[in-house]
Amino acid sequence: MKKILCVLIVLMVVGGVVFAGGQGEKKSTQKTVGFSLWTMEYTFFQAVEKGVRDACKDLGYTYVMIDQNGKADKMVNDLNSLVGQKVDGIVITPVDPGAIGPAVQKARDAKIPVVCADIGKSGPVNALLISNNFKGGQMAMEFIDKTLKAKGVTSKKVGVGTVQPQWTYARGRGDGFIAKAKELGYTVASELIVQNPTAEGGYDTMQQMMSAVPDLAAVFYCSGREAVGAANAIKAADKPIIVVGYNGDPEEIQAMRDGIMAADIAQQPYNIGYESVKLLQKIFAGEKYEDAVVPVEVALLTPDTIDKFQADYEAKMKK
Amino acid sequence: MRKVGALKWAAGRWDSFGLPFLVALLLLVFSLLSSPFRSVYNLVSNLSFASLVAIGSIGMVFCIMSGDFDISIGSMSALAGVLGASMVARIGGPAAMLVTVALATLCGFVNGVFVTKLRIPAFITTLGMQFVYRALAYIYTTNTPVYIKDPFWLSIGSGSVLGIPFPVVLMVLCFGAAVYVLRKTPFGRYVIAVGTNRNAAMLSGINVDLVKNAVFTLVGFFVGIATVVTASYLGSVNPGMTGQGYEFQVITVVVLGGTALSGGNGNLLGAFFAALFITYMQNGLGLKQVNSYWQYVATGMVLIFAVGINRLKSAILGQRET
Amino acid sequence: MIRFLKLYEKFGIFIFIFAGAVFLAFATPNFLKLDTILNIIAQGSYAAVVGYGMTLAVTSGGFDLSVESVMALTSVFLAILIPVIGIPLAIVASLLVAAFVGMLNGLIISKLKVNPLITTLSMMTIIKGVALLCAGGKMIVILQKQFMSIGTGKLLGIPIPIYIMVVFFGIFYLVLYRSSFGRHVAAVGSNENAVRISGVNVDVVKIGVYVLVALTSGVASVVRTSQALIGMPSMSPGFVLVALTVTILGGTSLTGGRGNLWGTLLAAVFISMIYYGLNLINVQIFYQMLSVGLVLMLALFIEGLRLRYLKAAKAKGIKV
Repeated sequence: MKKILCVLIVLMVVGGVVFAGGQGEKKSTQKTVGFSLWTMEYTFFQAVEKGVRDACKDLGYTYVMIDQNGKADKMVNDLNSLVGQKVDGIVITPVDPGAIGPAVQKARDAKIPVVCADIGKSGPVNALLISNNFKGGQMAMEFIDKTLKAKGVTSKKVGVGTVQPQWTYARGRGDGFIAKAKELGYTVASELIVQNPTAEGGYDTMQQMMSAVPDLAAVFYCSGREAVGAANAIKAADKPIIVVGYNGDPEEIQAMRDGIMAADIAQQPYNIGYESVKLLQKIFAGEKYEDAVVPVEVALLTPDTIDKFQADYEAKMKK
Repeated sequence: MRKVGALKWAAGRWDSFGLPFLVALLLLVFSLLSSPFRSVYNLVSNLSFASLVAIGSIGMVFCIMSGDFDISIGSMSALAGVLGASMVARIGGPAAMLVTVALATLCGFVNGVFVTKLRIPAFITTLGMQFVYRALAYIYTTNTPVYIKDPFWLSIGSGSVLGIPFPVVLMVLCFGAAVYVLRKTPFGRYVIAVGTNRNAAMLSGINVDLVKNAVFTLVGFFVGIATVVTASYLGSVNPGMTGQGYEFQVITVVVLGGTALSGGNGNLLGAFFAALFITYMQNGLGLKQVNSYWQYVATGMVLIFAVGINRLKSAILGQRET
Repeated sequence: MIRFLKLYEKFGIFIFIFAGAVFLAFATPNFLKLDTILNIIAQGSYAAVVGYGMTLAVTSGGFDLSVESVMALTSVFLAILIPVIGIPLAIVASLLVAAFVGMLNGLIISKLKVNPLITTLSMMTIIKGVALLCAGGKMIVILQKQFMSIGTGKLLGIPIPIYIMVVFFGIFYLVLYRSSFGRHVAAVGSNENAVRISGVNVDVVKIGVYVLVALTSGVASVVRTSQALIGMPSMSPGFVLVALTVTILGGTSLTGGRGNLWGTLLAAVFISMIYYGLNLINVQIFYQMLSVGLVLMLALFIEGLRLRYLKAAKAKGIKV
């Protein structure tokens, strides 16, 4: 029972500090935007984060960021924490979009608007800004169709390296690709989930795909890193397969420069982050958004357009 | 002379007070450093959050005490969660919650059977079953998350009793019950005996197989409760994401809490304080806007440091190392 | 029967591989092609190499959960150093970094007496942070294309990773079975106190073990990084589980003292065959996961039966 005493002493100490310190109030009249991010481990999310941070700076908001470390339960705790800090608005890039419901409800009950920046949404969010993934997949197939016809390739077989099933919105990329492929008369000879979502995972899956379909004409990988790995595998096997990736990360740009990747569907993560905050600004000003999905355009990158794209990207990330 | 005496006194008390002391220190430091940290809201909501791992760790303490391991609990959680959550529409919230707990308990029981009847070592059984349970969860749901719309289930995660959140109440009740079982029932003594020296336990008449089976079932039971709370907290169960890394979190908490991996001695309350420690530390680091990468480094170092202190204590007291 | 069971220890997995191969050969015409088979073996080589290290660690009575992060750190250092000091030196330097991490693991486990689980689990988190810090969170592209030849090149038609797998098998075979160090490792795994009393420096043995594990992670990372041509602060999530699985599936006992290097190699190839083969016939990954789990348990169930049969035979006085 000495242990209980111990805990009581702790509580008293902390209680005292709490009374002295207050409830985490803000003293300024500046609005605060809280940003909950999946992880800082990948360039895509680093760009989203920079976008949110820059927008807060430009619009004069205080910026608070919490990293979910890729854990869904921490994500919910972080959201609750932001609500407790009484932020004025929340932007979230959720690792598990299906798990934010109750926490978003808490935020909305506290009159805090919530905007999702990419990935997905659930619960009473105000809006979700996300790339038009389905269209992106279609664009990839259209490019492949054009290129194959220009090269006079007769094989109508294409393959897709898809993302794991829990990323429901990203699955749209594969869906769009497959829909367009069927429409243009191609056979999706192989549709594999890339089990190891990294560059070397793409390498392995591509080897498997090449074994399964020896006369593959082209392939689309829904995640950029995997596409780069796949491109390397194709080069190593010395086969004339066309690769298209998705994302627009620096490593994909390099792959295009090296000539092993034919095209890339570029998202605009910086813009997604930036526009999310601007949407919050609109909501602060009284505009109504409820469960809205705001599609962000994606662009088809080819070797001739990458220079400008890269310059743009570096300018944004340096600011 | 007096200095050595003081050290020995501290070392002797470490098992009981060490972790609570560290937690208090942590709370103090972060409260002074961070204004949002010391708000009642933050402190209480983190208690709630800690319960997700703490409740699941109760069964694991028993398991490790009996000399075994279970690394399938994350996948167990996913399977029990998706099956329970998907039944809400048909049988209502409360019944579905019971299904989740029952199913997790069953999974634990199955693990126990493999270990005791088929004699497959626990680490391997659970390593294999971890793949099996998660695969089953995927197949059952055809990869889509299952949302929980039942108000009763949802209120578990966010509701409160006299200002104390449900999860915290549940956590205290579970720990209370577990401590009672461990200290005041013959079963508790059997678990310790089996973990300390299996053959001796067998010779003294204890049905080792039954004890082990019960322990694994307990693991499943508490994981089931934790799953119900987590599902309420998140509002959904996802076959791919639920429980990922859960086994590592739980085992970290159990070992940090002072339960020896070699079996025999267990520290239930230690696990409780360890869960608090890790939760508050991550929360504090996050609120201070510490660079994410440095957070990884800090978390790992603190863990080694905390266990290192345990070693120091053993050395000072001349205890046998585990 | 007894002879068969004793042989099984070494080649039991081969039966699984054979069964699997027969199944795949009937299931798809693409299996029995040289390319496919070589690829399967190559894809198993990454887990095999790390598996050798893990086998050593488990034989010594511990294990190493930090392999993923060591791989990431090696990858990042390769990307940073290759443009500066050239490929061969960069490889050596990066492997030294990996070895250093292994030494830290070994020191903490032996000198500070923190158990291997917590040590390597914590180190995994720490090194993950360090790798991310060194890389600034970026994937660093490697512009020196010749580096790619390590992971993708072929010698006499056989992929280089397979050679690496065989060479390291040889090295570890000598270390584990033909050196006093290897005998000490097995002894430490069986009965650490006895070894200590007999005058062997247990601490040095343990440090050596963990340095070797980290080296194998480094080597695997060199191969993978060369295939991706990117320095990756985040690599293969969950790889440690694969390395552990092949070690255990290969027959190395978790209680320490007995390492089955052959088993590890065969198990790595077998697991690779499951994933690769099932992808060839378009079976979804969840069924792949299910298969791995069931195979693991079946294999160990059989192993348990085998050991009990042999024990009973011994008790009856039959020469075993």
